[in-house]
Amino acid sequence: MLRIENLRKSYGTFRLDCSMEVLPGRVTGLVGQNGAGKSTTFKAVLGLVKPDGGRIEILGKDSSQFGAKDKQKLGVVLSNAGFSGYLTIRDIVPVMSGLYARFDRAFFQEQARRFGLPDNQKIKEFSTGMKAKLKVLTAISHRAQLLILDEPTAGLDVVARDELLELLRAFMEQDEDRGILVSSHISGDLESLCDDVYMIHDGKIVLHEDTDVLLDSYAVLKMDEEQYRTIEKRYILRSRKESFGYSCLTNQKRFYSENYPKLAVLKGSIDEVIMMMIRGEAL
Amino acid sequence: MKGLLIKDLRLMKNMGNSLALILLMAVGMSFYIKDISFIVVYMAIIGTTLTSSTISYDEFDNGNAFLFSLPVSRKDYVLEKYLFSLLMCGVGWLLGSIIAIVAGAARHALVPAEGLMTAVALLPVAIGLNVVLIPLRLKFEAEKSRIAQIMVMGGFFLVCVLGAKLAERLGIDLNALGERMPAMSEGAGIAAVLAVSVVLLFISCHISIRIMERKEF
Repeated sequence: MLRIENLRKSYGTFRLDCSMEVLPGRVTGLVGQNGAGKSTTFKAVLGLVKPDGGRIEILGKDSSQFGAKDKQKLGVVLSNAGFSGYLTIRDIVPVMSGLYARFDRAFFQEQARRFGLPDNQKIKEFSTGMKAKLKVLTAISHRAQLLILDEPTAGLDVVARDELLELLRAFMEQDEDRGILVSSHISGDLESLCDDVYMIHDGKIVLHEDTDVLLDSYAVLKMDEEQYRTIEKRYILRSRKESFGYSCLTNQKRFYSENYPKLAVLKGSIDEVIMMMIRGEAL
Repeated sequence: MKGLLIKDLRLMKNMGNSLALILLMAVGMSFYIKDISFIVVYMAIIGTTLTSSTISYDEFDNGNAFLFSLPVSRKDYVLEKYLFSLLMCGVGWLLGSIIAIVAGAARHALVPAEGLMTAVALLPVAIGLNVVLIPLRLKFEAEKSRIAQIMVMGGFFLVCVLGAKLAERLGIDLNALGERMPAMSEGAGIAAVLAVSVVLLFISCHISIRIMERKEF
């Protein structure tokens, strides 16, 4: 669906050099700190910035050939941009109808009602949560094939977030050839929605793993200095000095829990893995 | 293109009160101002500046990034802005002409046919406004573009004044030169100027597309 090969883009001292792939039927997450390169990657895919090098293939087409007509097949949420705040939902409906050949007006209006989005109120007067719901709704209302969602759940409360994730799951279930690339700060979203996750740091992909593997096989090991000195380090990806000794990230949880029963083995969450990948040291 | 046009028309709805006030002012002025060309040009300028306002709405809160992630090419965007601008400028010109001619006829200060001729003669001016203003607005941010527009307009008048002074110094009589031009009816003259402004409009549009294609959001 989407293949990014050695995408390069520089801004001052920041250098993006990333490769990743979104496969049909899969939801792929992109995580990283602010300024890690997530938004630049999204913008390059959407043609909003010109890459310095590399190759992007979207729905089988090179990005340089991917025109306005092809964008009918994309649904996009950008974290810091949307329709003008001076428009209302009543204004947006005919605009979407004019832009998208397959805009599902009935679905859009029904979901807007369900989410309690007022029809005739300016978007700038919406709460953060309402704006986020509207953005996702506009992205999934025209039978897109690939969704590119930058922080779609930012600012949402737990219930609203769950409703939106449910919408995205329903979107995927309708057609097995659909795909989603999503970035989020909230690892809970990614754990429950994504099939695989890419981790980006300082413009580079530092980890790519299936979510199941990440949750099942990754773990953070806590140990004192003596344990650290003697432990098998072959499966340790990152280590970090702590006041009590060391924290180590591994992708072979079972190996350590079976061979080192005295070790504190904490189940890996995406948050823990991010923290260790970024702040820990490679051995 | 259709979606973008609807968006701009809907955005204009927000300016409803200001537009009504502008129209009222034009009607008021028409009772006191003898030169009808002022009202026609005034209304055409207002029409054109509406495009500038919609570009500002698009830019606000990083809106352009979202706009170009929709099925909209940079070329579509520019073409829509010219279409919208010509539409608004045309409506302004038409309303200005109607107000001026009706008010002039009511005061017996103007023969409607003459008024119509003046209004048609001012059409190239209205188109010319778009030729200059849209690329400048797309190239620069709102504030910088205002300065650039003033500089371009000022520069244009300066060139005209200096050109006339230079001709005077060189002993060239511009009026006599004009009279010696091949005899041409007033209508044909207006048509020729109109044709030139349309050509300039195409060139301006081409430049605007280049400006937008180079932008990053």
